[in-house]
Amino acid sequence: MEFNDNYPEYEKMSNHDEAYGKKARRTLWNVFWIMLAITIVELIIGFMAPSRGWSGTMGLKVLFIGLTIVKAAAIVMWFMHLGHEVKFFKYTILTPYIVFMCYTIFVVLTEGTYAGTSGKFAKVDPVFIQQQEALKKGGHGGGETHSAPAGEAHGEEHH
Amino acid sequence: MAHSVEIDSKEAWNGGVSPFKVSYGKMMMWFFLISDALTFGGLLVSYGFIRHKYSEVWPKAEHVFTHFPFIHEHIPLAYVGLMTFILIMSSVTMVLAVEAGHRMDKRGVTVWMFWTIVGGAMFVGSQAWEWYNFILGTDLTTTVDACKDLGHMRTFFDNHTGEVVTRHIHGANMVINEYGVPQFANYFFFITGFHGTHVFSGVVINFIIFLNVLKGTYVKRGHYEMVEKVGLYWHFVDLVWVFVFTFFYLL
Repeated sequence: MEFNDNYPEYEKMSNHDEAYGKKARRTLWNVFWIMLAITIVELIIGFMAPSRGWSGTMGLKVLFIGLTIVKAAAIVMWFMHLGHEVKFFKYTILTPYIVFMCYTIFVVLTEGTYAGTSGKFAKVDPVFIQQQEALKKGGHGGGETHSAPAGEAHGEEHH
Repeated sequence: MAHSVEIDSKEAWNGGVSPFKVSYGKMMMWFFLISDALTFGGLLVSYGFIRHKYSEVWPKAEHVFTHFPFIHEHIPLAYVGLMTFILIMSSVTMVLAVEAGHRMDKRGVTVWMFWTIVGGAMFVGSQAWEWYNFILGTDLTTTVDACKDLGHMRTFFDNHTGEVVTRHIHGANMVINEYGVPQFANYFFFITGFHGTHVFSGVVINFIIFLNVLKGTYVKRGHYEMVEKVGLYWHFVDLVWVFVFTFFYLL
């Protein structure tokens, strides 16, 4: 049988000369500046969010997750060179991951609804929630207070 | 009468052609990263689930991660912004080392890998400092003030005595913390710890490859693909941090 492989040494396929390298470096630095700019924008928005009342809004969540996916795509496509691999390999890597993650998120969103919100259904730590509600009203935290020195409280093992 | 079909041996796949056009090692690194990414994906999804379940009592990141070295004021997000900058920076030095390797530029690979290792070590150190502050909690003067308005009061079930007790809580452990529900600290420890373990092992692997670069192993081999493979791992670590940063600190 004839051996059809045109590239017996795949490791050397990506070797290139100085001219190509110069172009590649420019691309990489551009990607870096874009990622840095996105991160700074995220930090500024995150810094402003509490005072502007943006915290926890759907718009903010969508914006942050969208920017995160943009950054992730930049890392995978340029830094990890997946954009330069052959199409078959690229989709062999990406498809299973995207399908499984979408499935996991789908399962959480559809099957996870029993959890509800903590205020109504949480059975794990009702005392804690009761106390938080009392604190919100400005009252005393629920339950009787066992006075302990302020410096020496490390959970239950000291008690 | 059956007749055979002529097959052009140039067209047919006879086992000699790799459809992926990558070496075995690089492909296996990608497959490993897929499995690792699924682990992190599962952790982050379960984090989202628990956070939604306790959304009313989940602490806000800007109230928890406010420390900055040598500054006593509370600045939200600044420290984690610095950590993110360090990791992105070390990611770009890594990709420059890979690029230098493609030109067989030994000096370039050495220099850029050195800075990558420095950046990685700085990141691990930063994370240690973050954990230190998270575990110890707010400093004493703040806590005494906070105690007045019962901001750090926590009620919990004591396993030893079997009673429900209310006490002032400092910092965090796996059972209870001053910030919010126990799950908050549990997920913080587990996910940032798992990521930190990856960064640490990445620094170690980078260092081993760095020594090989210095020895000239890859000059003899004729290619720097090992640098590219550890580069893939290192960028993956950066990739995970991008998500951890968003879900733990920004949202």
